[in-house]
Order: sequence, then C-alpha cells, then structure tokens
Amino acid sequence: MSNKPYRLAQGGSHIDRTQRVHFTFDGKPLTGFAGDTLASAVMASGSRLFGRSFKYHRPRGIVGLGSEEMNALVGVGDGARHEPNLRATQVELFDGLHAVSQNRWPSLTFDVGAINSRFSRFLPGGFYYKTFMWPQSFWKHVYEPLIRRSAGLGKAPEGRDPDSYEQIHVHCDVLVVGGGLAGLTAAKAAAASGAKVLLADENPELGGMGDLTAGSINGACVIDHAKVIAAELLDADNAHVLRRSTVVGHWHHNYLMIFERVGDHDPALLASGAPRHRLWKVRAKQVIMATGAIERPIAFANNDRPGIMLASAASALVERYGVAPGVNGIVFTNNDNAYLTALSLKKAGITVRVVDSRARADGTLIERTKSEGIEVSMGSVISAVEGSMGVTGVRVAAYRRGQGRVITERKIACDFIAMSGGFNPALHLWCHNGGKIKFDDGLQSFRPDQHHDAVMAVGAANGTMDVAATVGEAQMAGEAAAKAVFPKARFPKFKSPEIKEPSRAPLEPLWFAPATGKYNEGNKHFIDFQNDVTVADLELAQREGYESVEHTKRYTTFGMATDQGKTSNINGLGVVSEATGKSIPEIGVTTFRPPYSPFSFGSIAGVLTKDLFLPVRCTPAYQWHVDRGATFEPVGQWRRAYTYTGNGEDRQASINREILAVRHKVGLLDASTLGKIEIKGPDAAEFLDRIYTNTFSTLKVGKCRYGLMMNELGFLTDDGVTVRLAEDHFLMHTTSGGADRIAAWLEEWLQTEWTQYKVFVTPVTEQWAQFAIAGPRARNVLAKLAPDFDISHEAFPHMSFREGKLGAYPVRVFRISFSGEQSYEVATPANLGRGLWDAIMDVGQELGIEPYGTEALHVLRAEKGFIVVGDETDGTTTPIDVGLDGLVSKKKPDFIGKRSLEQSYLKGPYRKQLVGLLTEEASEVLPDGAYAVRVVKDKPPMEMIGQVTSSYYSPTLERSIAMALIENGRARMGETLSFPVEGNKVIRAKIVDPVFYDKEGVRQNV
Amino acid sequence: MSDVYHETPLSHCAPPQGLSIDLREIKDRGMIDLRGFASDKTFLAAAKKILGMDLPRVPRTSASWGDVKALWLSIDQWLILCAKSKVAELVVALENELGDRHSLVVDVSDMRAVIRLEGEGVREILLKGSSLDLLSNDYKSGTVRRMRFAEIAALLHVVEDQVFDIYVFRSYANYAWDFLLATARIPTRVKLFGKQI
Repeated sequence: MSNKPYRLAQGGSHIDRTQRVHFTFDGKPLTGFAGDTLASAVMASGSRLFGRSFKYHRPRGIVGLGSEEMNALVGVGDGARHEPNLRATQVELFDGLHAVSQNRWPSLTFDVGAINSRFSRFLPGGFYYKTFMWPQSFWKHVYEPLIRRSAGLGKAPEGRDPDSYEQIHVHCDVLVVGGGLAGLTAAKAAAASGAKVLLADENPELGGMGDLTAGSINGACVIDHAKVIAAELLDADNAHVLRRSTVVGHWHHNYLMIFERVGDHDPALLASGAPRHRLWKVRAKQVIMATGAIERPIAFANNDRPGIMLASAASALVERYGVAPGVNGIVFTNNDNAYLTALSLKKAGITVRVVDSRARADGTLIERTKSEGIEVSMGSVISAVEGSMGVTGVRVAAYRRGQGRVITERKIACDFIAMSGGFNPALHLWCHNGGKIKFDDGLQSFRPDQHHDAVMAVGAANGTMDVAATVGEAQMAGEAAAKAVFPKARFPKFKSPEIKEPSRAPLEPLWFAPATGKYNEGNKHFIDFQNDVTVADLELAQREGYESVEHTKRYTTFGMATDQGKTSNINGLGVVSEATGKSIPEIGVTTFRPPYSPFSFGSIAGVLTKDLFLPVRCTPAYQWHVDRGATFEPVGQWRRAYTYTGNGEDRQASINREILAVRHKVGLLDASTLGKIEIKGPDAAEFLDRIYTNTFSTLKVGKCRYGLMMNELGFLTDDGVTVRLAEDHFLMHTTSGGADRIAAWLEEWLQTEWTQYKVFVTPVTEQWAQFAIAGPRARNVLAKLAPDFDISHEAFPHMSFREGKLGAYPVRVFRISFSGEQSYEVATPANLGRGLWDAIMDVGQELGIEPYGTEALHVLRAEKGFIVVGDETDGTTTPIDVGLDGLVSKKKPDFIGKRSLEQSYLKGPYRKQLVGLLTEEASEVLPDGAYAVRVVKDKPPMEMIGQVTSSYYSPTLERSIAMALIENGRARMGETLSFPVEGNKVIRAKIVDPVFYDKEGVRQNV
Repeated sequence: MSDVYHETPLSHCAPPQGLSIDLREIKDRGMIDLRGFASDKTFLAAAKKILGMDLPRVPRTSASWGDVKALWLSIDQWLILCAKSKVAELVVALENELGDRHSLVVDVSDMRAVIRLEGEGVREILLKGSSLDLLSNDYKSGTVRRMRFAEIAALLHVVEDQVFDIYVFRSYANYAWDFLLATARIPTRVKLFGKQI
C-alpha cells in the first residue's frame, strides 16, 4: 500500500472543499476539509492504520462509519483536555485538532506488543482464568500491572478538566430516538398533532443512512426528502431537535438519558464558555425507537486487516467525504445491499468486484451491478487475506452453505475489502428497559417484539429494511404516539408518498467463511474486534462447556468491550449456533445494558464539582469563623468551627486554650446548627411525654428540661433540651445532625399513629442564630449586652428561659449548660446573628472572652460525663446502658421504647455500660474506639469486653480522660482494664465514674 | 448596641455578571409559617379576617390580597408573605384572632433565602436543577411547589410567566446561588421547544 492520497476529485456531501482544516495525527501534520471526520481525513491522506488491537496488538484500521466503530479508538486533545478512546469515525475535524493512536509502543507501525500475536496460541479464550489464578498474590503485584500495560485503552488526561459540563431535565410527549428517515417521519407525524416532540440523533447531520439508501420518494432522493422534514422540525414550535446527541440509556417509566456533545467539534464554542457536554435526563410519555441497524462484519481469515471495512463505511467514505477506501477493492457480501457499495465505488472510478456467498440471487441491484460491468462471483467467499499492515490480496474460494469446505480457490489482488454480513436492528435501547425481542429468519437477526413500556420501534430498528414500509410504519407510530398522549388529537390527512426502490433477493446467513489450508492457524477469524475474540475462541468455550451464552460472553470477553458488541453480537451467536447445533433463538442473547456508547464522567458530574460537589451549610456567623482562621469539621452538611488556630497555634494548643477560657473566664460557641422545632397544640405536652423517656407535662412554663429519645427498640436516637414556651407550646432542641430526622419522626407519629392528637410541629432550625456564652463570667457578658430582663441567678436560674432584648437585639435566652459552667444560650433571628455575635465578642473583650469550637465543646462535656448521642451510643445503646435510668419515667403509662426496655436481653446482665476511664499514664490518651480485652494475648483474636467511646486530653484536669462502654462496667469500678493498641502496645486504664469534674454540679448553678 | 446589624444570607454576593437572566436576592420579604386545619372553618375565617383572603386550599396554589400572599405548603400549612416590616404586627394579629383555636403562627422570615430569577429562559435554567415539568401548563403564575433543586430542598413560586422566586433554607443560600451562577451563564443558554437554527 502506497501512501498516496485518496481524496477523490469530486463528491463528498458532508465536506466543504473550500475550507481546509489543519490537524495532526500521531504528531504528523495533515490537512482535511471542514465536514471531515478524523477517520475520513486520515484515510484521505493515504493512511489506514489507526491503532493496535487490545490483546494481540494487531494493526487495525477503520471498520465502521459511526458509533459502531470498534478499532479506530483515538485520543484527542492535549494535557488536561486529552480524551482517550474516542471513535475516529465520530470525531469531527477542526483546525488545530491533535489526535493520537492508542495501545501501541513505541509507534503505530512498529509495535513491541505485537509479539503477543506471535504467541497467540498461548493466549486462548479464557486465558485470564487459566493462567493468572496462581499464586494469588501475583495477581495484584505482577499480572495485573503487566496486563494493564500491554492490553490497554488510551491514557487518562493530565490535570484538572478545564471545561464545564451540565445536565438538564426535560419532559416531552414523544421522544424519537434517531434522526434518519424513520425517526424524522415519526417525529413529524407526532408533532403535527401539537404534541411536544424531542428528537435526538448522535450525528452532526440529520438524515441517518438516507444518503446511502437506494430509491426515491416523490421523485426526490431519500436524503433530500429527509432533509425537508428535518428543516420542518427545526422550525416547529413544539419540536426540539438534538444533534450530536446519543441516547445512552433507557430505564423504567420511559426515563432516558441523552449525552449531547455540545462543544467537542468547535474549540471556539468551548472558549466562549459553552459546556463541553450536556446530559439530558428525559421523561417521555411515549418513545419511538428509530435507532436504525448496524451492518455485520463477516468472519473470514484475517478479517481485521487495515483496509477491511463494512460496506456501509466504504459507501460513506465515497459519498460523504469523497474519499476512496483504495484503488482496487472487493465487496464481500451475503445480501443485496452491499451491491450499492459496489455501484458507488464504480461510479467514483474505483476498480471493484463482488464476492457473494449466496449460490444465486436475483435482485435489481445485482442486475444493475452486472450491467455496469462489475465482476460478480456468486457462491464464493473470501477464505484468506494477504498482507499485514494492509490488504495486498485475497483468496476466493467456492462456497456452498451447509456443504462444508471447498478447496478450490483463486487469488485476487486488491487493496481493500468492503464486507456485509447483513444488518442487525440496533436493539440496545429497546432492551435496556426490558423490551422483548424475537428472531427474524429473513434478517437472520433479532428484532423488537413486545415492550412493557410505551415504546415503539420503527424502520430498520424494527427490522423494516425497505423505504416504503419504513415511511408507512413511522407515520403510523408517530400518530399513535401522539394519540396515546392526546386521545382527541387530530391529524392532517397523510398522503402516502410515491416511493420507488429496487427489489432485493433474500440474504443467506454467513457466520463463518472457512479458511482453506491451514485452519485457524495464525489466521484469525475475528468476531469481536475490540476485545480480539475469534471464532476459535467461541468454539473453544463451547468445547470447554460454557453452554450458557452469558458464560461464553464472560469467559471469552466477547461483546464486553466499549462498543458493547454492536457489530459482534449476532455473529458470535451465529458461531455458537453452528458449534452447538442449536438455533440462535435457542441460544438467546446476552443482556443489553446501558450505556449504548460510552459517555463522559464530566457529563455525569455536570456542574456538581468543586464548590458544588457537596452542599455545605453555613451558619450566619460562618464568615467570622473563616476570618478568624478556624479549622472546620463537617457535622452533617454543616461546617462547624472545630477550633480557632488562627494565631499560629497547633490544634491541641488552641483547643486547650479554648477549654481553659471557658473554665476560668468565658467562651463563646456558635451553636446555631442545633435542631429547633416548635411544637404546639392542646395535646403537645402529652405528645412529648410519649416521645421522650422522661416527663414534660410537668415542666413549668419558662423552664427547660433535658430529654432522651428512644426508638421503638428502646435504643437512644436523640437528646436535647426542650423549653415550655406556653402551656400548649414547646420549643424542642435536637442534635445538629438529628434536626431533620427528628422533625420527620415527630410528623410520622402524628400522621400515622396518634392521629387523634392536636399537635403542630414546625421546624425552625434556620430561623435562629444561637450562641452559647459559657464560663464563670458568662453573666457579666450578658449584663454588658443591656438585657431588658432580670438576669440575676435568683430571677433567671439554671434551666430556665427568658424572651426579651439584649440592647436592640430580640432574643430568646436559655440558661442551659453543656459545659458544666454557668451558661446562657442566646438565640436571635438568623439575619441578626452576625451582628449579635460581633456585639458579644465586643463587650466580652475586657472579660477575656474567647470563641471556642466543637472540639473544646466535646472535651468540656466529657469532663462533665455528658453523653453525645452517636459517640456514647451506637444505635444499640439504651438509656440504662449509659447510666441515665433516672431519666426513664417509671410513672408514665407509655412512651416510645418503654416496652422494649422490659425485654430480657436489654435488662439482663453483661450489657455494656458507660464508665469513665483514667489511664495509668496520665499523659497518654487512649485512641478513640480502642477495645478493652478480657485477657491480653500475643496476637488477635482476643475476647473484647467493650470499647472507648470518647477520649481526650483534659487541660482542666491536666490528664487524659475517656469514656467507654464496658461489659458490666458499673460493677467493675476501680478495676484496671487492658487496651491493646497499634504497635503491640497495651494501654492500661482504671474504671472510674464518668463524671470527672465538678461532680456536684455547682459551677453551672451560681 | 443601640441598633442592630442586619445581614441577609446573600448580602455578601456581588450582583452577578454574564448571566442570561436577572438574578438577585429578595432581602425584605417577611415570612410567616401558619398551621391550622383546613377542615376547621373558624380557623379559616380567622385567617381570612386578618389576611383579607381565603387561604388557598388547592395543592400547589397561592392567593394574594394587596401585598400579602399565602402559599399552600401542605394540607395544614401555609407560608404567608408580606413586607418584612409588617411581620411582627401580622403575627400578633393572627395570634390574637386565632386565640385558642388549634393553630401555630411562627415568624420564619430569617429561615430562608429568597432568590428572584427573571427573564427569558428562566424555566430552562431551573430545569438544570429540577426534574419538574416546568414547561407544562402546571407551572403558571401563582403555582407553588416544594422541590428538590440541585442537591437541596427548595420552594418554587411562579410569580409571573418569566419571574420565579425560589426559597432555600438559609444555610444553603450560597450553594443555591453558586449553582445558579454556574447554570445561568450566557454561553450555557438552552432554548427548549421552539424554532432552532
């Protein structure tokens, strides 16, 4: 094969010869025309090599004409914009495009990995399973890295993707998948009734295969007729047409996803800020599948040589791009359609002859081919291909189906082959959502049968291969779909167009063209080109007992490549059928799964990247914490200040400083994230009595009470302080993470179980900014804020509530304490939160106020032995386990979880109980979650008797403290336990009361 | 301390540039969460007396009287909108009129951020974060709908054909705002169902 250019002097409906486009392929500068694909432009330059195959590293060229292409996977773009594994047949050329071939090293023409091909007898079907099973440890460290390097697809991009992506939802009455003659006709028919019609096509130009279809509609070529309809749809108010948009999946209730390549073809669009891809999430009332059909290759010896392509691809090269696939070609077929390719090639001045496996056939196209002087050899097959980097010739053998191999053969020189084994309706989307299919003997392929969803298939997708029937059924489907949505829809009378098309002889299945001489020895008959699966591999799998086609698929990897078996599926089944003597419908098909073709991770993420990756909740004073140099921790979706390290301290130092400030002076905590729920109604008190373990009906107005909540199983789920605002009106506080869950929990009980209760529950968490002023000087701070109410200890004691003003700020003040210090939680409407925070810091300055974060909060409460639901509890912990029996009412008739606490296993011995721990070495802090063991052994397993639930260094006590749930813990007071930790170390700690500081609770009560 | 410092959730955001619609925070909207049984005629009458209108009882609708609006939130919950300066007065009036009737009136003016979207293509922009059929006749002026928007909960109010308010909980204001900045950029504009070039 010489490197002479193959651009024809004329022709090429898609290209604009006045616009030259400069690009590079593997670094080599080339030119093409606007409208070219990378595939056509590279072919025009005289090169046919596009990549190396996955397993054997065989040289490969273009086979298909669109998304079914399996060989020519290329990488496009540089650096962070590099995208691997794109099909060269779909990559639209633009000025400055850089593309590279894949899976070759060091170069496309000389590839070291091709040695795999020489040793291919050692790489049979299922070789992964046979070879790399032993020893097990080799898989991770030796085999996998090796295989990854030699069998591979493209390289990942370098660096962060600079482009943007987005998603959009759309509802439509009718979604038409595919913009060929069938899809356009159906869409127009549906839109005529006023239905909202969405049409998606994966190509840049509408019309599908119309330009490669013989016949005429009302005297015009098929494609011209299609383009007129396309223009009408683009103009319509109730239709939306998406080009460069692949429907990648179809799910239940007619939910589909469309992958739109918005900017890939035009760098100027991307530079202007357009999203590169857009993912459409479509809810369609009716779906019409007009996905067309995909041509089948034929399995003959060395059918993967560069220069061997589908007949439709050869036609497209000539008709669309004015590119000759070669100078002297052979059309190898089992059907009439490929004769169109022969005629097309002849017309373009290319020498061509036809090899037809059928003994006889007598369609109009065959007659026309013969009358044009093209040599036609009936009853013949290609039995071998010569040449390795390209085609230099073929051997043609006589063939008769069912009569075994015939050994007469002749040699014919040629430089390309256009093959056609028939057409398979593109059923993928039909099947994604459970559509049934049936085998069609005429097509020798599957076609749509029933579908449980509102889906119809038309045209080639439905196995309807002629123009007249396609137009008729598409029109009917379009009208039927619209009618299903609008039963009263009226349609303009449809006048059937006058259609002329050639008659066709039936095809004859050809699953395998036997090689003469050396059978399958170094001469591979490829079925799945992308995964290098051959006829011999499939036959071997049958001999080895992989009877189920799903097992054959996984064992050989046939149909498992990125092309999802578009070209290989039926051929593979044909081979299995011949090997087993079962019919294809008996064998059945493998499962079609989304996506139809690969789509980008960018489109899956959409705009939800970087700052939008996860919703982050900010309190009204958030910016203050940021400015103060706080480090943050996530609490649910909130970001709470963990500690304020802004002045260069390490975290332990700042945490200690904050704790000591609260113990000795005063601290300020942003507690706005606490859940807040208003509960009101004549039954509110009784309702709370049932929700909490303790009693709230006895709470006095203006007072606060700490409550525990269990689920029906008797396990703790939340805790917090509830305030009685009025006789029938309460304000409940929940944990920060529990706010939404508890609001829903309350509603559930009211709506489903206790429907007689008159209680309203309104969550108000976000209405309030809430700050804890805690420490011996807390009241002094409050005083400086000019309260309009008496804040003396006598007038405003611990566990009470006041509503009033601090200066100009309207506030609710709760005298409650999670630190054990004198403490006021001050709530103000959220929009005033930042202002009040600043005011408190301002007046607190001279009293030594310091902001403290969540870690100081946790240490302070641990010093006091206060539990945190989720730390001291794990979903299987009862109030009794954590020593809060006193808060479980003995008097109330019923409350949630009461019955469960009576169960023997919750009352019995050996429950894990909450205790305090003091390590023998005061400075040593137990790791959170460390296990206590009954007996220390040399190595695990050791019997565990409990675990550390919270563990800190307490600057107040100048030593470590911890809490733990320990089997029978309260009976073990004074006992020393062993905690084996990392590094063969054992930490020993004594069981003590969990209240480490101010056991009498005097500090909060002054 | 003689005056309060007031800061709405998005007050720190600069007016956006380069968007295909107008996007701004509504800073002065007062909001009252009103609970009561729609089956309780005395409740409805009391509410009407103060608000000057019947509370909407058809799901996903709203009603208005002067500059006061009532948005249907559920079978026993309404969001009353008014000028922020009128909230305190209205809460007291409602509470007084409702008296002992089973009801709950809460000032929630600071609980949500209100974002106004206005202009041609506003529905398409919202469709980038919502799976509702916003192009259908269900979403005409006055429609109210709670929805999932992007990854968060939001309340949608169709003010006019091309004017939408979305309400998000205050803590998510930045997230919602940033999502809209990303999806409303001029180069990302989508026009659905109409003449195409």
